[in-house]
Amino acid sequence: MTVLTSQNTPQRAISIRSPTIRIVIACTAFAVLLAAPIVLPAYFVEIGFKLLIYIVLAEAWNLLAGYGGLVSLGTSSFFGLGAYVTVGLINHAGAGPLQALAASALAGIAVAIVMSRGLFRLRGLYFTVGTLALAEALRLFVINVPWFGGATGLFVTVDLPEIAALFRYATLLLALAALVMALATGSRFSVLLRAVRDDEDAAGQVGVRAFRIKLAAFIVASALIASAGGLQAIKLGAIEPYGSFGLQWSVDPLAIVIIGGLGMRFGAIVGAVLFVAIGELLADYPELHVAITGVTLILLIRFAPRGICGLAEAALRRRGAAPREARP
Amino acid sequence: MTAAAYSAPLLDAAGLGKRYGGVVANDGIDIRLDKGRVLGVIGPNGAGKSTLIGLLGGAIAPSAGRIHFEGDDITALPASERARRGIGRTYQIPRPFLDMTVAENLAVGQFSLSPFISAATATAERRDILDRCGLADAADVKARDLPLLRRKRLEVARALALKPKLLLLDEVGAGLIDSEVSELIALIRSLMDGERSIIIIEHVIRIVKECCEGLVVINFGKVLTKGPTAEVLASDEVSAVYLGTSHGGTAKASPIAVPSTTDDPAPSPSATTAPVLALEGVSAGYGQARVIHDLSLSVMPGQVVGILGTNGAGKTTLAHVISRSLPVTAGSIRFAGNDITNEPAHSVAARGIAHCMEGRRIFASLSVEENLEVAARHVRAAERKLRLERVYALFPILAERRNSGGTSMSGGQQQALAIGRALMAKPRLVIFDEISLGLAPVMMDRLYEALAELKREGLTMLVVEQDVERALDLADTAHIINKGRITLSGPTSVVRADERLRHLYFGTEE
Amino acid sequence: MPALDVILNALISGVLLGGMLALTALGLSIILGVLRLVNLAHGEFLVAGAYAGLFLLQWTGIDPLAGLALIGLVLALIGYPIHRFLLVPLAGKGPEASMMTMFGLSIILQNLFVLLFSADTRAIDRSYANVPLEFGPISVPQIFVMGFVISVVLIVAVHLLIARSRFGRDLRASADQPQAAAIIGINVSRVHAFTFCLGAACAGIGGTLIGIALSFTPTSGASYLLTDFAVIVLGGLGNVLGTLVGGIVLGVLQSIGGLTLGDGYRDLVGLVLFLAMLSVRPQGFLGHRA
Repeated sequence: MTVLTSQNTPQRAISIRSPTIRIVIACTAFAVLLAAPIVLPAYFVEIGFKLLIYIVLAEAWNLLAGYGGLVSLGTSSFFGLGAYVTVGLINHAGAGPLQALAASALAGIAVAIVMSRGLFRLRGLYFTVGTLALAEALRLFVINVPWFGGATGLFVTVDLPEIAALFRYATLLLALAALVMALATGSRFSVLLRAVRDDEDAAGQVGVRAFRIKLAAFIVASALIASAGGLQAIKLGAIEPYGSFGLQWSVDPLAIVIIGGLGMRFGAIVGAVLFVAIGELLADYPELHVAITGVTLILLIRFAPRGICGLAEAALRRRGAAPREARP
Repeated sequence: MTAAAYSAPLLDAAGLGKRYGGVVANDGIDIRLDKGRVLGVIGPNGAGKSTLIGLLGGAIAPSAGRIHFEGDDITALPASERARRGIGRTYQIPRPFLDMTVAENLAVGQFSLSPFISAATATAERRDILDRCGLADAADVKARDLPLLRRKRLEVARALALKPKLLLLDEVGAGLIDSEVSELIALIRSLMDGERSIIIIEHVIRIVKECCEGLVVINFGKVLTKGPTAEVLASDEVSAVYLGTSHGGTAKASPIAVPSTTDDPAPSPSATTAPVLALEGVSAGYGQARVIHDLSLSVMPGQVVGILGTNGAGKTTLAHVISRSLPVTAGSIRFAGNDITNEPAHSVAARGIAHCMEGRRIFASLSVEENLEVAARHVRAAERKLRLERVYALFPILAERRNSGGTSMSGGQQQALAIGRALMAKPRLVIFDEISLGLAPVMMDRLYEALAELKREGLTMLVVEQDVERALDLADTAHIINKGRITLSGPTSVVRADERLRHLYFGTEE
Repeated sequence: MPALDVILNALISGVLLGGMLALTALGLSIILGVLRLVNLAHGEFLVAGAYAGLFLLQWTGIDPLAGLALIGLVLALIGYPIHRFLLVPLAGKGPEASMMTMFGLSIILQNLFVLLFSADTRAIDRSYANVPLEFGPISVPQIFVMGFVISVVLIVAVHLLIARSRFGRDLRASADQPQAAAIIGINVSRVHAFTFCLGAACAGIGGTLIGIALSFTPTSGASYLLTDFAVIVLGGLGNVLGTLVGGIVLGVLQSIGGLTLGDGYRDLVGLVLFLAMLSVRPQGFLGHRA
């Protein structure tokens, strides 16, 4: 994850260093994903779609919390926003799905900019509470203001794309997210972002304009979340405030990243796979699933604050270190 | 000498002031610095030196005064904008980006100021800075894994990565051994290229002496004196500020032929009784940084023991170890015959150790009287009243202000309250930690009169103090701590006469 | 423009409901002030109190108002192991770890409520919840007045406990300077445990009152958590009587919002106010650094 290629860095066992190889692997993976709906049974396409959406949300949340130290409980506000903007544009402006998704990303950016002034004044825990309030306020707003169909919500009135097409949209969104995350976490920007996370005041003393850095991360994450929300809305064909602005959309990405590994490059993917798998196993007991998520959270925070990826990294390092010491 | 050089100074701070509630940290400080010059700022602990750095660097907003940098008024600019204009600072207590590597710590400033700098240039610059700061081997180490002294080097390196026109160094020499001080001096000298200006805040006088052309002495938040380095250091006034106001001829007494050794630090004025407090081979620190090493000492009933030493020597850490608010990593502590090594602070307090902490630590939401009463625990009302009256007799001002908020009073009154609070527990041993910090001499006199009175009453005391003369006047025995170890102990008359004492404070040690 | 008596009624029920809100907010406030913990499970404590009142009535027939002390005790007893086994081990791991743990607990409790008690909307059915009390044109349910009086009495009691008692002195000292408090002999971890239990009890008793006055569901907690934050911001952190004022102000504003915009806007008004306060004056409850 280090951005700087400094002299005689010991090669880390788990990272594939060469950028070319990385790009080739990533492109192949996305090509496979794009082709997947042709061969996969519908059930797996369905689950795959869910997984893709969760990975996008978790990547965005990891960018904010893991790299930027902005622990947000407001994912659902941008998710719901994207859903309503998308459905609104499809129904009333005759927008195609891609146009609508792009517009919801822009709406996410706009709201992020508007809210940033207030939210970024809050540090640490208070930022978290502020984002929670934002999500709740938006949900109440949508329920009460007459334009959004109240508690019943809205239906998509045009024909919907098939699940295979949606899966491909989700793949494209994930590709976009992966690209953005690669840029945001593997670039000079990531150095500044992590500096702000570690010590905002000290970062200021070396010239970092913390507000702008945080805003940039917040904008990127919000745009990704809003697009994911729009995509989910198109898939469902109907949206209502309790679903789209539901607390679960804030909880799930957080749980995924904490399970996978906060601030770890592959934390979102590993966590999402596990989370969706457990969710499918307990599909008939949704409350139990959420309760188990809560227990997992508490246990991981206490015993493995860097999640599964953190445990794996530590294990690999131990294995890598032992033989090296054995050598003379 | 060009015309440009004759124009406005690089830095012109006029009438800088900062107050925190009732406490004035800086008051009407004027500092002018031309391009390429190196200025030293010295003064005792609590004099307001770090506040000054904060004001110049932008971390603290001034309550009064203006700051001009290269002719522009930067008073209202936040720290980030000042850094971008070329002011780099270090923190006295290092604040590296803990979860980033050393190289990345430097890259923050580079990428922030010039996002499109070529990778090769950036790497070369970093390597150069790390080489100069002696961190070349640590480039890929996480800052979290660096020990304290290397973190201090990282502070300097990180500031240098900004290529600052003005560098503010806040006590970067504290805690270094002599060879490291020499390295630091060489580093600072290599930065003096005629272009860059540097302000050095320092307790290690040798650094100031060898690097600074001019000195400003700050005391009680005000400029006490300023001038060329040699002149300022030679003045009695400055010597008095450092060694204490009662500094006089005593220090000139001839050295005693048999100096006490470090091997046998236990003083024994009354060998027949058991010590009330005994430390055996105690080590302790914060996280990775070990501050005190294998330290042993004992305190006899009724004895007053002075703990002396420079800033960062480990005196306050020792105080916290004894009151059990800091865990020990090795050794044992016995108090009144009981092993208290693993007891929590509150039960040690119940056993009879009171700790009057550095920085006073008055409870802001309690009134003066409540601050006192809260320390008299598990005591009948009549007894509590009696103790309260004793404290009020010792410090009448507290009786007058008994219903005011604890922190609404002046610094000296708050210190009196902190002393009173420690006495309310009717302790068998009181640790007084730096009670003279940042106080006016007249207030110090009053507090030390009170301590002398307590001594006459037979109170056992451990007095941690930077004001050497005051501590030596009061104490029966003294220990000098340097870099976490006792380097000199003995009866005060012996310690007072030992040449090493003065050397320690003025850095003339070989 | 609604009739004058409608406005008057709305304002008065706003004041009365606000008093009850203040009691619940007090639970959040003292835990935040003393333990520096953002208790994200606060809303669930409140709902737990409401369920406790409901089942006390259903199983034993004891009137929940008569059993308030018992309910408070139950919540305190639930709070103790939470503090002891979930929070104490996280000491020194930073405030986020504790907050996220309480968040995990909050989603566990929420779903436990659904599993055990179903997702139905409940109300504690007492005659005094429906029978109005009338003074001329003003008519409010009796429970509003009773709940308000009980809340004010309890808030004042907590205020006196903190401002006057020996425990209160220890509590304030521990909140100000935990290290200094331990050094002068205060058992800070015991103070923390007691404060946490007291906070849980306040939330639970307030929850019972609200459960009688209004209705609740297993997931009502989240919105009360945020409303209570708004109360703290308005009243000032660590200011017990300020919390009462904050609660009443918020209650009245909610009533006005409900009256002028529609009933659904009641909670929205509180949240918007909260967000606005945060962006204008975050130091409202940022008196100390997080």
